[in-house]
Amino acid sequence: MYVALFGNPNTGKTSLFNCLTGSYEYVGNWSGVTVEKKVGVLRQHGVPVVDLPGVYSLQPLSRDEGVATDFLLTEPCSAIVNIVDASQLRRNLHLTVQLLEFGCPVVIALNMVDVAEKRGVKVDAAKLSKYLGVPVIPVIARTGKGTNELVHAVLAAKDKPHPAIAIDYGAEVENAIRRIAEQLPDDVPGNKRWAALQFLEGNERMAAYLHGRFDLSPLAAIREETEQALGYQAAKHIYETRDRWISEAIAVTAIEFEQKPLTLTEKIDAVVTNRYVGLPIFLALMYVVFMLTFNWLGTPLADRLDAFFSGPLTDWLSRLLHWTGASPFIKALVLDGVVAGVGGVLVFVPQIFILFFFISLLEDSGYMARVAMVMDRMMEAIGLNGKAFIPMIIGFGCNVPGVMAARTIEQPKERLMTILALPFMSCSARLPVYALFAGTFFAREQALVVFSLYVLGIVVALGLAKLFSSTLLKNENSLFVIELPPYRVPQALTLWRSTWEKGKGFIRKAGTFIFGGSVAIWLLTYVGPRGVGVPMDDSLLAAIGGLIAPLLSPLGFGAWQAGAALITGFLAKEVVVSTMNIIYHVHEASGLKKVIAAQFTPLSAFSFMVFVLLYTPCLATVAAIRKETGSWKWTLLSIGIALTVAYMISLLVYQAGKIVGFP
Amino acid sequence: MVLTDLYKGETAVVVRLAIEQEALKQRLLHLGVKEGKMVRLKAAMPFGGPVMVEVDGQAIGLRRKEAASIEVR
Repeated sequence: MYVALFGNPNTGKTSLFNCLTGSYEYVGNWSGVTVEKKVGVLRQHGVPVVDLPGVYSLQPLSRDEGVATDFLLTEPCSAIVNIVDASQLRRNLHLTVQLLEFGCPVVIALNMVDVAEKRGVKVDAAKLSKYLGVPVIPVIARTGKGTNELVHAVLAAKDKPHPAIAIDYGAEVENAIRRIAEQLPDDVPGNKRWAALQFLEGNERMAAYLHGRFDLSPLAAIREETEQALGYQAAKHIYETRDRWISEAIAVTAIEFEQKPLTLTEKIDAVVTNRYVGLPIFLALMYVVFMLTFNWLGTPLADRLDAFFSGPLTDWLSRLLHWTGASPFIKALVLDGVVAGVGGVLVFVPQIFILFFFISLLEDSGYMARVAMVMDRMMEAIGLNGKAFIPMIIGFGCNVPGVMAARTIEQPKERLMTILALPFMSCSARLPVYALFAGTFFAREQALVVFSLYVLGIVVALGLAKLFSSTLLKNENSLFVIELPPYRVPQALTLWRSTWEKGKGFIRKAGTFIFGGSVAIWLLTYVGPRGVGVPMDDSLLAAIGGLIAPLLSPLGFGAWQAGAALITGFLAKEVVVSTMNIIYHVHEASGLKKVIAAQFTPLSAFSFMVFVLLYTPCLATVAAIRKETGSWKWTLLSIGIALTVAYMISLLVYQAGKIVGFP
Repeated sequence: MVLTDLYKGETAVVVRLAIEQEALKQRLLHLGVKEGKMVRLKAAMPFGGPVMVEVDGQAIGLRRKEAASIEVR
């Protein structure tokens, strides 16, 4: 049975999870980073711990919040660790009360006691523990201070029956609780009082849980009667009663209680959320990130790696193969297939990690939430909200987590639109393609050309969202509220972990997907309709690529090689580069650049990059879209739109460019 | 008077949340925006964009339309 970690967003829950489990988890400083529940194992004790999305209450407003409530409804848990931000005690305790009412053993981790003191909040943990009737352990999750004590408290409390607290909600509500509880089955999660209260409050997940089991109308009738007797909503009454109970708890246990804002955060916010310079600062920051990734830092590193793969590594492998007496077939497979395919992609690891590093930095520092606010006006104009901007920035790293992060958007229609727009955000897997083509044809303006592709992706994504929001998915009830957490200096270790967590997928892909893909593609070039070991132009791959080549010729790249690379690119977009490496028989990027320079013109290269940017989302993204939308219709629509848009824009770029007279 | 009538940096007391959307009201309550609370207008984004308010030392961003439905004194 699990130990479950509950807490408000931005309370350091994922940091605490990392301390408790020592696992490599992804930490971010904006609500909704934990998009799915993550499981780790308590250090040295072998107890599974689950990290749930941050919630303010058990009544979910968005899909990721629903994950936390559903956990209580469906999974047995041996203990709950409730992480509480000491500086926001009043707000955090609303969740605590609901967890205490549930009746599972609870241990409270009172986090950020150091920050709280700076903000004028000081709480007597022993008194609070006595008042709440559960252990309260002060911790500093960022440094790991207090986690040992917390682990001991959890192990001591775990699996022991714990009585739920019972706050007096007044005659009308108490009467309703009793009447609802009488009708509930005995196997209801937590206890009947908790379930009845959650139902009275209007918790959708609770209603959905009960709905499958019996008729809800008598319960709804009780709620209606109660609300008539009260003269207002039961939820409001319950909230107010809890709030009074919490005020009492704070009055008894707090030594100081001022809740001042942090001065440094105030100062930074005065600049980055300034109405005149807020947006320019964000754009300038993104520009610096791109320059560092592509021009200043990333490219020199990638070039070195490339020199290593094509020089020493190929030599060693070739000598090793010779020494082991490998057949020419195996030699060709390893050197022309695997080294060319996998190596051609691995070369881009430095650039991808630099980009992921900066995305992590933006998340961990707390700046991302400000970006959502600064961008909200623009997003509102196209029918989305500022929160949709965060999945989109994550989409720059990889579309798959971007699609998942859209769960934090409360409105289902806005969420769907965000998911549909996301594949146009240029992910890091498209980077190798740009790096190759822009490096070949636009060496001096590389950053600018790549930046223009990113901008094109954003423009297409937003344009489509606008189209959807004014036609298929009209949405009157757009909603935007966001908590802006205090800034914090990201810790080196956390930063490295979240960069690695995001980037390792790329390396893993190189070892699995791209490895397998490279072997398959090489085999397709090795065999042809008329036998094996055929010349490249008579191979099976040439035949397949040749099928779609005529279609692509108006876009400027009608050779079968381009067609074949695009088809295999559906597996993962970086496979486009692997395929080209294999087709053109080269092991390293510099050799490939020469071949490509002969096959493409600057204009057709740009048109090709535009096509790769926009055409079908990769296989993994398609799977994520299918899972998140739960509909094949939307998934296929997403692919169809992407192909159409890619074709139209590439055609426009190439034909217009030709007329204007670009080479 | 409503929240958006405040000057930048001005503080007022919330009198009523005249917000129709139940979900939004719930979220504001849980963020600590409710009757009797002190709120401070910290910043307003351009072109009618969101406003940034402070409650209990915590900053929150919300749209101007909704902020205009929060009555203050």
